[in-house]
Amino acid sequence: MSTGHRHDHAGDGHADHDHDHKAAPMVEEITDYEVLEIAVRELAIEHGLFTAEDHRRFTEWAESIGPANGSRLVAKCWTDPAFKARVMKDAVKACKEIGLDWLEPTGSGTPSDYTNFIVLEDTPTLHHVIVCTLCSCYPRPILGMSPEWYRTTNYRRRLVRWPREVLAEFGLLLPPEVEVRVEDSNQKCRFMVLPVRPDGTKNWTEEQLAAIVTRDCMIGVALPSPGRTADVHPIHKARRPVQASVQHGSAAE
Amino acid sequence: MSATSDEGLDRVELLEAIRRQGKEWDVLAPRYGVTNPNPPWKTSLIGTSECLAAGGALPALERRKAEDELAEAVYRDVPGPERELLVLVHTMLSRGLLAEGELAARMRAVRSRLEEA
Repeated sequence: MSTGHRHDHAGDGHADHDHDHKAAPMVEEITDYEVLEIAVRELAIEHGLFTAEDHRRFTEWAESIGPANGSRLVAKCWTDPAFKARVMKDAVKACKEIGLDWLEPTGSGTPSDYTNFIVLEDTPTLHHVIVCTLCSCYPRPILGMSPEWYRTTNYRRRLVRWPREVLAEFGLLLPPEVEVRVEDSNQKCRFMVLPVRPDGTKNWTEEQLAAIVTRDCMIGVALPSPGRTADVHPIHKARRPVQASVQHGSAAE
Repeated sequence: MSATSDEGLDRVELLEAIRRQGKEWDVLAPRYGVTNPNPPWKTSLIGTSECLAAGGALPALERRKAEDELAEAVYRDVPGPERELLVLVHTMLSRGLLAEGELAARMRAVRSRLEEA
């Protein structure tokens, strides 16, 4: 890709960097939301509610995590039956094989994180989806920070009552013969979904497979498929949009 | 707090003044051509919430319960990241972890510092 960003690294390490590219756009004003976030944090630290070091350690960890570990775990399960058996027997222990230690996810401990992790295996006739009805418990070390919608009351309350309908809103329409199980996370136990390996992926490498295992597939609101490498939520148009005459109050009752 | 109730669901004037400005990220970002879906302070906010929970000042379950109630009763029309921030601050004020006066003063000091840079 040519961007006009020219680097001349020859010679003595004092290369002439000609940065003629445009900087990425930024919001060029200081909002009171930004100011409020800083003010609250500073006062909390001054009041002894936590330390600046606690905060720095957490935010560095939060910035560093994502769903890549989960994608790797699923791809490895699909290609290595012995590994999958170990995951199903003791997922916390098996995660160490992909370099993830649940007991020390930040390298220095995260007190609000849990003690157990279970992988839920889908089959052609059984589909799992995870939620936290009470708050927003989520397997962060392996899937990263939870998406905004996962934390909404809309998702948390409605998924346990109308799972098929909520999944349909994500674009996932499951046939009636597929049983849907909703697994409710809690403070001490986290879950993720091991989806069924899709058709059309024979002889794929672990890396190719991992690319189609997106975050939503491991939550259970999407299914992996060749060519689908990002979570994009469809916007459904209203089936019966309100007519202009109704909006203006002229429709007959 | 300038306005309180037993349930802590009444509006807080300091926070109302902020939301009246209409400077939410989903308004500002497209205005400046920024595509990042979240404001730059979002991770730090999560860090503050996590640290408050870890230290016992505001357990995660209680924060989420307060967020559910306040999101419906007071901050229904505020987008995600800003709502999380307003709810956290509202809850801290309700519980006496912060005082509205000291928060307002600190906000003035922070803004002054940022504008100097």
